[in-house]
Amino acid sequence: MPETGGIILGIDLGTTNSLGAYMTAAGPVVVRDAGGAALVPSVLAFGPDGQVTVGRQAKAHAVENPLSTIYSVKRLMGKSLKDVAEDLRVLPYAIKPGPNDTVLVDVAGSGRTPQELSAMVLEDIRRRAEAALGVKITQAVITVPAYFDDAQRQATRDAGRLAGLEVRRIVNEPTAAALAYGLDRKSDSCIAVYDLGGGTFDISILRCSEGVFQVLSTNGDTRLGGDDLDRELIDMLTGEIRARFGEELEFGPATRQALKAFAEEAKVRLSDYQQAKVQVDLGGGRVFERTITRDEFEARAAKWIDHTLEHCRRALADAGLAPGDIEEVVMVGGCTRIPLVRRRIAEFFGRNVYTAVNPDEVVALGAAVQAGILAGMKRDTLLLDVTPLSVGIETLGGGMGKLIMRNSAVPCMASETFTTCIDNQSAVDIHILQGERELAADCRSLGRFVLLNFNTLVKCVADVKQGIFPFKDDCVGTSVLKDMRRILFGAEVVHPRLGIPEIPPVFIHI
Amino acid sequence: MTDHNDAPAPASAGKTIPFKCAKCDAPLGRPLVCDACHTLNASAMLTDYFTLLGLPRQYELDGQQLHRSFIDLCRHSHPDHAQNDSPKVQELHLRVSATLNEAHRTLKDPVRRAEYLLELLGGQSSAQDKRVPDGFLGTMMMMQEELAEAKAGGDAREAGRIASVMRTQRDGLMKRISNLFEEHRLAVSCEAVRKDLLDEIRRQLNAVAYVRKLLSQVEGVHA
Repeated sequence: MPETGGIILGIDLGTTNSLGAYMTAAGPVVVRDAGGAALVPSVLAFGPDGQVTVGRQAKAHAVENPLSTIYSVKRLMGKSLKDVAEDLRVLPYAIKPGPNDTVLVDVAGSGRTPQELSAMVLEDIRRRAEAALGVKITQAVITVPAYFDDAQRQATRDAGRLAGLEVRRIVNEPTAAALAYGLDRKSDSCIAVYDLGGGTFDISILRCSEGVFQVLSTNGDTRLGGDDLDRELIDMLTGEIRARFGEELEFGPATRQALKAFAEEAKVRLSDYQQAKVQVDLGGGRVFERTITRDEFEARAAKWIDHTLEHCRRALADAGLAPGDIEEVVMVGGCTRIPLVRRRIAEFFGRNVYTAVNPDEVVALGAAVQAGILAGMKRDTLLLDVTPLSVGIETLGGGMGKLIMRNSAVPCMASETFTTCIDNQSAVDIHILQGERELAADCRSLGRFVLLNFNTLVKCVADVKQGIFPFKDDCVGTSVLKDMRRILFGAEVVHPRLGIPEIPPVFIHI
Repeated sequence: MTDHNDAPAPASAGKTIPFKCAKCDAPLGRPLVCDACHTLNASAMLTDYFTLLGLPRQYELDGQQLHRSFIDLCRHSHPDHAQNDSPKVQELHLRVSATLNEAHRTLKDPVRRAEYLLELLGGQSSAQDKRVPDGFLGTMMMMQEELAEAKAGGDAREAGRIASVMRTQRDGLMKRISNLFEEHRLAVSCEAVRKDLLDEIRRQLNAVAYVRKLLSQVEGVHA
């Protein structure tokens, strides 16, 4: 297969579905298979012979093969076991603790990292693109929810590398969507991108000025999405099934997978129809039948939509804008097909929402546009993004001292003076954190350093060292770690948290 | 362990920068970018943020002009557009871009802009001079008491009213600061008068910081 040298693939690595797109002179184009399908379900099936299938085929086998069918891996990326406790309740496959506070997915007795599993999906996307384009692809731009923290972004980068891709950039999904919508032709206006996907929710406020997209603020919840709406329906069904067939009824993995599939189908159907019929075969001649109406679904979905509106309010406040200042509202993600979502968002912003581009494909198209910018194909468009969460260091007494505030434009710099605080102290421990809470313990830990070789007899005098934190495009904290090591003599990485075992964390290898 | 210094540090502000592009020798219309060959001029970063963004060095500024100038300079300096250049050029783009972002952030926010300009003009920092205007603390204490009562009584409406009074107070202080900067700009000759004005700006800014902190607590409660 010939080398491309040029083509950078844009990839939307979703909780439920993934797809690729590439830039052409005429604009971004989605990669489709011979049958015209673009979406690849982010589902993996492990056969007894070790064979792995990805996508539609894997999803089809979920019910008969529940323990070795893996989905929603994105929810586990860059997380510790404690972080995902809530998800474990509904995931039929087993999860166990991995080294360095990571999680492993138990597949037929062997532990797989979320990165490895995501890499399999990415590899499938890459192969499809190679088949469609007839060239070898080695570079990619991958999208993540804007509200992903650094550990989650790093995990996504690692997945790309495992899939044989040099990840040129991690781009935020809502920003990618804005790029794809062609709103760049606007002379000067503020837009909101509302992105409700399978597992995550993001809201971004942008200002567009003749091809330059300036992100003003971003907010969201990396654990709120269509899965939660499915869960509402699953809870409703299981409750009623138990009421009918006995409270002690246990649901096996196969039934759980089936319920999940029915709930998802019902949710999708209820976007177009007033009701959806569900039939669950519980075995032993017991069949549960139920018709769910749209009103019932909306009553259960409402509280989740309220949550998203709260995030919208915060994002607007950070941007210093009122709902009325927004001139376009762009809807992204499969869940924005739900009439209730469209209605509530239109109400909130006081205007009709923009749904012209397929919400499932718009993020990948935007990733392709950003790939085009990086490849030098598109010089009239530029994206000015922000860091979604504050970055800082632990202060004396366990506080979080913010150095870079959330929603700061990247790249950005911060400098900090370090000194000793007791007599005869020879080292300073630096703990880098990400998050908005006041206590270090409540923030995400990105890594620790020890600055050695302080030669002070008396505290707070002399031998002051200064660190400069240049923040590049995406993985903010990682840049901190890398560059601090370069700048500070004697600095030593002690324990970068959430590193994965297969790949040495990048920030150790400079 | 750490010292926080919120104010930006215009260490070498006001330094002269070259008049000609180092690469093509064309005269520089603006400090950062050569209009003839689009080369970035690294020494432009030694100047102050106002000059860097092509704005007059004064408190009142045209928000549209700031935005346009910032966006235009970003187009020339963003690292995304230097991906195929040498590492040295990429590094320069990164540094320039980070400086521009900081300059934009500083000038866009009225309080940060006032702090920055005060420092440029040789005024004291909030650490050096902690005074507030006469009578200010008394008013604030009264408001805080009222607020505590409203909160204790669960009276959200009254708390909202006090927050709105505080916002009015803050806006009044900012208006006063703007006028003081303008007076300072026009008082060219008399050094003593100029110093008094800068001291007064310092006190007003200290008061603004106080009100803003209170407000963030109040608004935090409501959020």
